[in-house]
This record gives sequence, structure tokens and C-alpha cells, in this order.
Amino acid sequence: MSGAEGGVSPAAAARPAIGSGRFVPPLLALLCLAVTSVLVAVALGSVRVPPAELWAVLTGDGSPLHRTLVLELRAPRALAAFAVGGLLAVAGALMQVLLRNPLADPYVLGLSGGAAVGALAAMLAGLGAAVVSGFAFAGALLSTVLVFGLAHGTGSWTPTRLLLTGVVVAAGWGAVITFMLAVGPTERLPGMLYWLMGDLTYARTPWVAFAVLGAVCVLVIPLGRSLNVLARGPLQAAALGVPVRALEWSIYVGASLITAVAVTTAGSIGFVGLVVPHMLRLVLGNDQRLILPAAALAGGALLALADTLARTMIAPEQLPVGVITALLGVPTFLYLLYRSR
Amino acid sequence: MATRHRVLAAVIAGAVAGGFAGSPVTAAERACVTDDADRVVCLDTPPERIIALSPGATELLFAAGAGEQIVGTVSYSDYPPEAKDIPRVGSYKRLDMEVLVAKQPDLVVGWVSGNPTEQLERIDALGVTLYLSEPRDFDDVATTLERLGTLADTSDLAQARAQAFREEIAAIREAHGDADPVRVFYQVWPDPLMTINDDHLISQAAALCGGENVFGDLASLTPRIDEESVLARDPEAIVAGGMGEADATWLDPWRRFDSLEAVRKDNLFFVPPSSIQRPTPRLVEGSRLLCEQLERARERR
Repeated sequence: MSGAEGGVSPAAAARPAIGSGRFVPPLLALLCLAVTSVLVAVALGSVRVPPAELWAVLTGDGSPLHRTLVLELRAPRALAAFAVGGLLAVAGALMQVLLRNPLADPYVLGLSGGAAVGALAAMLAGLGAAVVSGFAFAGALLSTVLVFGLAHGTGSWTPTRLLLTGVVVAAGWGAVITFMLAVGPTERLPGMLYWLMGDLTYARTPWVAFAVLGAVCVLVIPLGRSLNVLARGPLQAAALGVPVRALEWSIYVGASLITAVAVTTAGSIGFVGLVVPHMLRLVLGNDQRLILPAAALAGGALLALADTLARTMIAPEQLPVGVITALLGVPTFLYLLYRSR
Repeated sequence: MATRHRVLAAVIAGAVAGGFAGSPVTAAERACVTDDADRVVCLDTPPERIIALSPGATELLFAAGAGEQIVGTVSYSDYPPEAKDIPRVGSYKRLDMEVLVAKQPDLVVGWVSGNPTEQLERIDALGVTLYLSEPRDFDDVATTLERLGTLADTSDLAQARAQAFREEIAAIREAHGDADPVRVFYQVWPDPLMTINDDHLISQAAALCGGENVFGDLASLTPRIDEESVLARDPEAIVAGGMGEADATWLDPWRRFDSLEAVRKDNLFFVPPSSIQRPTPRLVEGSRLLCEQLERARERR
């Protein structure tokens, strides 16, 4: 607490209004970054659209070709990238609090593995893109229910038990994926590998992911205070009147659904969910009330920028976006970690 | 009723058009063909801006007389030599949709099993005329030539080429099809070791020459196998493609297996991969070469 608040009564200090005042500058900065990233993603591509033409298109004018390029190809993909990045970062932040483990990411409990098995099975059967998405979502839900049921078991429930169950289920999915890649017909391998590496080509419409991101921000952010207490340990949280068990399960189910939507939209894009929350904690401190909305904005911005690079770096050849998220994220994260000592 | 009205309208339009060549009825429905995904593909006017999404499709379009109109193709499109100068729209595995759309194609020839399904769906959704190609046997190659010729308004040339292709393949079958069977192993790739089953065009080419694919019965189109199974099936001839068009080094590792009949008789052959792995009229050259090699194997008996 800063000195300015010294004279305020403890009850007043706990009021959200005073606490959230501090959050406005970093969130505004991240909002600017987010808007800029989406604008950059819409402005840049392998075909050059001059700024004047871009403005014409955005104001409802412009040539049919430029309208197709910007409105039908770039904009939906940029928005989908932003939404998926935001979802993954929020899900990662939630999992790290839930499992009280810094290595947790949205996929640590095997969800992406389940989704991948579903998606690859649909690809092996030669089904269309919509069916691949549907199978991926079903696989993600199946994995969630499986881990939930097994970790629940008959005995008491702990984050360690959940983590172990999830990691082992993930290993099982990994074996199935490897098997599918080994026996799959050669001509389908590139598509399957691109899905596993994560690629926004699969994003057909951004609106589902965007609606979920909006809903998540509205639903999760009020939980920030309880999450702050939970992060210090379940005993303390229970002593402070937080319904620990109910909160933990709702985080688990919530984070799983969020991740399922993200994976269904664009394949299993790695790295964003693990590293964005950590980066933000290094810079902004570990207050979930700030970290969760910040993760939504920063994760979205990172993925929108990464996808722009993936589309343009060696155009007309296309890279999977997972390559770029790691290439951008690793040095940034290492720098922040080094500086924070 | 609707049809009669349209005919009537066409007649009137024709009368109004007066001296212009061509009947409006045929102009409106100039060319329709069924593609390999059983979709009906129609074009009102001959395409002027074609994009080919596989090296094979590029060759087929050139052979069908529509090569001049190709404005975009994918990596590895290297035949005929003019194809090397055509701008690229990405690799067949991942297309750059922006570059593709910016070329404003009026016909895109896609590859069902090679191009990403979601990108083909996107091209279709953008309203670009899409022909989906997937030739599985010799006759499909000839049929595709005819269909592309119909779409591109080069039917005369395309049909002549298709007919010539059918006749040449028939002539090869005539000359070699009934010869003594030679047990062949075709190596697609060395690491992991890959071959083909009887559904593959290469196996059909071998059958044309009286060759018998030792792995023809496997379930997968391009099965991954191990060296032991090659030793167990002991082929009389080993045929390999290669990394380049003249790189026969893939055959050398087999020489250490003296127990193989193919090694003892030195029946280790190389076929330039693009002449036999692509479903195009060049299959005639590839098949002829393969037949000569199997003939040599018969002489060494």
C-alpha cells in the first residue's frame, strides 16, 4: 500500500474502487497495444494494400479486391488470433492459480491432447473443416471429464492429484497422437502437423472465440479477489471465508471450456498460455484482479502480431503461428526474468 | 416452363444481338464438367487467369493447352520449364490466400488430397470457380485433360492429347503387360522406408510392364515398412526415386544385402521421380523407362 492511503481506514482500503484505480494505467496501455496489434494485423499481409486504400476499405469503400483481402481474409483472421491469444493467456493464468504451479499452462491437464486426437481422427477420415472443429471440441470435453472424474476418485482431492492425473492423461493422448501420425497416410501429415503446431488457417469465424473472451472477462474478473486469496493457499483461503472447493472446480471447468474454444478455433497453439501470465506478473505484480484482464489483452496482442509475422515472413510460404509465438516470447520472457532478479 | 422461357429469352436476345457470333444460350452455359469430387464446375467464358495448386495440375493444364493462362502455381512446379517462371502462391501444403486472391483467378485447380481442406473450402466460399482434381489411374489422367480442355475452351488439343495418352499407355500394355511377372519393390523414400500399394499410380505403371508390386497388398497407399520386410519378400528388382531428378544414391544401401535377388542380379534401378510420381501425361515416359528396366531384369534371369 502506498503512503497516500495511510490515513484511510482499513475498510475503505479494501474497497475495490481504490484498489482498481492503480489498474487503470497498465490496462489502458495494454488496450492501446491490443488495438494497435489488430490494426497492424489488418494492415499488413503478403499483398501490399496502400494506407489510403486501407482507409477506404475500413470506411466502407475501396476496390472489391482490397475489400476481399482486408474484410474477408485479414480481419476475421486477426480477430480470431486476438481472441484465441486472449483466451489461452487467461486460461493459463487460471491454471497457474488453481494448481499453484508456475509450469501450469492451459494444456497441462491433457486438454489439447484430447482435442488433437479428435481433430486428427476427423482429418484421417478426410472430413471437412467444420467436422474437424467439432471433433476437436468433443475431444477436449472428453479429456476434461476424464481428468475430472479420475482426479475426483474416492479419496480427497488436491491440486497435486489433479496435476498428476492430467499429466498422465496428456501422456496417454500423446501416445495416441504419435500412433496416428505414424500410421496416417503421408498426404494428410502436413495438415495434421500444422494443426498440432497451431495455425490460424483453421479459424473460420472469430465470433465464437470473441464472444467467449467477452463472457470470460465479465465472469472471471469479479473473482479476482478470491483468486488472490486462493493463490496464497487453500487453508488461508478457507479461513478467510472463500468457498475453496467450489471455486477450484469452477476454475477448472471454466479454464477447460476456455481452452477448448481456443483449441477448436486454431489448433493447439503453444507458449501463449504459459508465458504471457508470467510476463505480466513480472511487470505488474501478482494481483489476479489485474493479471486476468491484462492477460486477455496481452495474450491477444501477442498472437495477433505473431500471426501477422507467420503470414508475411517468408510469404508466399506460410508458417504455423506456434513457431512465431515462441520466437517472440522466449527472448522477451528471458529478458524480463533476468531483469527481475 | 422455366426452360422454355429461357430459350425464348435467348432467342429474343439472339435476334437483338444480330450479327454477333455465338448463340447466347451456349454462351450462358458455355462449359460444365464434373470434377473428381463429383461437383459440377461451370464457366461462362474461357478462363484467363488460372491458378494451379499442385505441380501435377500445372502439368495437366499445360498439356490441355491452358498453360498460357496460368497466373499462379505452387512450389515445386518445375515442368514444363515455362512453369518455373509462374509466380507462386505458397506451397501446396499451405497456400497464401492473400496472394491467391490478389491474382483474381477465374479458375483454381485444387488437389483434393494435397491441399488443406479448410483452404479449399475458403476458396470456394470466396466465390472463385474451383475444380478439384485427384487422378487415381491412367484413365483419370486422360479424363482430366479432356475436362480441363472443355473448361479452358481448348477441347480440340486436349482431346487429341488425351487420346494420344490413352493409345500410348495401351501400346505399352500391349508390349509388356503379358510378359513374365517381375517381383518389384518401389522405394518412395528411404528414411522412414516407404513404398506404395497397388492403388498407387506407380504400382499401376509397374503392372503395365508386367511388374508385380511385392507390397501391393498393404492397406495404406504409401505404407512405412522396415528393411526386414523387404528381405522377407525378396524382390527381383528394386526401383527407387530420389531426392533430385538424377540422384540414384538411395539404391546403394541395398547393396550390403547379398541375399536379395535384386542385389545379386544387380537389378537396382532408378526412375526420375517426377516422371512417375505425378499423375500427368509424362507417365508415358516414366512407364516406358520402368518397362525397359524390368525387361533388363528378365534378360538377367
